[in-house]
Amino acid sequence: MTDWLKFYNKPKLRHPTLVVSWQADAGLLGPGVNNYLINKLEGEVFCEIEPADFFPLNGVTIESNLVLFPESRFYAFPEHNLIHFHSAIPRFEWFRYFNLVLDVALEHYKTKEIFTLGGMISLDIHTSPRESWATFNSPKIKRSLSAYHLSRETDFETPPGGRPTLNSFLLWTAKQRGLHGANLWVPVPFYLVGLPDPRGQKTLLEFLDRRITLELDYGDIDRRIREQDARIDDLCKQNPEIDRAINKLDTNQRLNEDERDYLVQEVDRYLRNN
Amino acid sequence: MGVILHKEPELNHPDMFVGWPGIGNIGLIAVDTLRQSVQAEELGEIEPYDFFYPNKVILRGSILTEMEFPTSKFYYKRLANRDLLFFIGEEQPATRETIYAEGARAYEMANLVLDTALRFNCRRIYTCGAAVAITHHQLPPRVWGVANQPDLLKEIRGYPNTILMNEAEGRGNEGSITGLNGLLLGVAKQRGIPGASLLGEIPDYLSRVPVPYPRASQALLETISAVCRLNIKPGILSDMVGQMATVVDNVYGQFPPDIKERLEQRKQVVRPRPEAITEEDQVWLKDHIDDFFKKGDKNA
Repeated sequence: MTDWLKFYNKPKLRHPTLVVSWQADAGLLGPGVNNYLINKLEGEVFCEIEPADFFPLNGVTIESNLVLFPESRFYAFPEHNLIHFHSAIPRFEWFRYFNLVLDVALEHYKTKEIFTLGGMISLDIHTSPRESWATFNSPKIKRSLSAYHLSRETDFETPPGGRPTLNSFLLWTAKQRGLHGANLWVPVPFYLVGLPDPRGQKTLLEFLDRRITLELDYGDIDRRIREQDARIDDLCKQNPEIDRAINKLDTNQRLNEDERDYLVQEVDRYLRNN
Repeated sequence: MGVILHKEPELNHPDMFVGWPGIGNIGLIAVDTLRQSVQAEELGEIEPYDFFYPNKVILRGSILTEMEFPTSKFYYKRLANRDLLFFIGEEQPATRETIYAEGARAYEMANLVLDTALRFNCRRIYTCGAAVAITHHQLPPRVWGVANQPDLLKEIRGYPNTILMNEAEGRGNEGSITGLNGLLLGVAKQRGIPGASLLGEIPDYLSRVPVPYPRASQALLETISAVCRLNIKPGILSDMVGQMATVVDNVYGQFPPDIKERLEQRKQVVRPRPEAITEEDQVWLKDHIDDFFKKGDKNA
C-alpha cells in the first residue's frame, strides 16, 4: 500500500458495499447523499487519498467566501457494512486514483460490490417522479439487480470527440479487478443542475436503503422536497414566464434557447436568494 | 505498466520515426503516411491506462463491455537500405489540460519509447512535428531541423527542402519544441541516442486553426522519405491537401483587410525577412478563429 492513502483508523467491516459519489454533480446528488448518510447513520472518515498527484494544487477555489480544497474521503458505516467514498473530481492520473480507491475497497475490506452515483440532465420538471437507471460492469450484477428494474437495455458507444464519464472509467477499472458493480443515474431537471435536487437525492438513497438495508428516516429529505416545491411554486406565481416555461416542459413542449436560459437563470437566482 | 511487444523481429540498426498529434497534425500525418506506404507491421504498444483518459465506452444491453483508450503503437519494416521503426501516438500524455505532454508522465512515456528503440539497437530517432513560421500558406512549406548532437547538423542541412531552425526567417539562435517531440529528443540526448526533430512549416496565423495542415505534412513526408532513401508515391496526400486548401482559403478570406494586406506582403519577395504578425493581430485572430471556422463549415 502506498503513502497516498492516509488511514485514520481501521473500522471493522465485513465484505462491505462501496458507494462512490462526487462533489461536483448534477443536482448536488453526491454531496446530498453523502451528507444525509453521515447525519442519519453517523458515518466517520477513516481514510483519505492525498491530493497532490491528482488535483492541480495551484491555489484554492473560493465559493461563498469559503475556501474549497479537494478532498477524497472514505466514510465507514460499520452497522450497515457500508463504505462511502466521496470526493472532488480528480483531474489527473485517474487510473492510479481509481486503483487507490479499489485498494481500500478490495485489499483492506474485500468489498463485495460497488455503486457509483450520478445525475443525468433531463427535460423532466422538478416534481416528476425520478426513476433511476443503471449501467453494469457484468451480467452477474445486472442479474442480481434485476428486481430493481434499473436496466434500460442500453446499447451505446461514445461518439467521436466525446469522452466516457468518470463513473464509467471507475466501473471499468473495478471490472478489471474483479469487483462487480453498477453506475446509478438519476434524471435531474436541467434548471436544477447547479442546485440541490432533493428528489433526485432521495431516489438514490431509496435504492441504497433497499439494497443495503439502511432503514433511513426520510423525514428531513421529504421536508426539503416540499420546501423546494413550494419555493418554485412561489416563483411561478411571481413570474408568469417561468410558470409558462415549466408548464410547457410538463406537457412535453420544447423550449427555445432563450426560454431555457431564462428558466435556468431565474430558478437559480430565486432559490439561492429565498 | 509498460511496453507490450507482440513480436521480436531481428532488425538491423533501424531508424525510428515518431509522430504525435500537434499543430495541424503535421508530424503525425507525415509519419503515419510513411508507415502505411511501406506497409509496416505492428510491433507492440505502450499500455495506455496510466497515461490517458479513455476515449470510448461501449455498452451492450446496459453492460459495459469495452473501454477504449488512445493508442501508442510501435511498427517495424525491414528494408534493403535500412530497417525502420515507427512510433505513432494518438494522444500526448498531457497531465495539465493541454494537448502537449509535460511532467513526469511525459518523461515516463519518452523513456518507454526509447527503451524500445534501444532494445532494437536503433541508430537514430526522428521526431516530426510543426514549425510555426512567419510565412504564407501559398508559399511552399519548408522543413526545419534541429538535432540533439552537433555532428548531425551538417547532415540535416543536406536534407531536401530543409533548413536549420536558426536559419528560418525571424528566428534567432533560440527556440523551443513543445511536447513530446521536443522532450523525446532531450531524453534521447540524455541516454546517448542521436536524434533530430524535423518540423513542417505552418503559417503563424493558421497555427490555432483546429484542422490538419497537410501541405506541411507533404513537405515533411518528402523529406523523411529522402532520409530513408524511399521513393514514396508523389502527391500521396494531394486529396487531403486540396480539401484543406479550400478550408484555409475560406478562413483567410475572412481576415480583415489590414491583416491580410500585411500577410500578403510575405509573398512579395522570395524568402525576405518578413514582418511577424503583431500581438494585436494575434489577439484578434485568437478571438475570431473559431468563428471563421464555423462560418467556413457553413460555406463549405
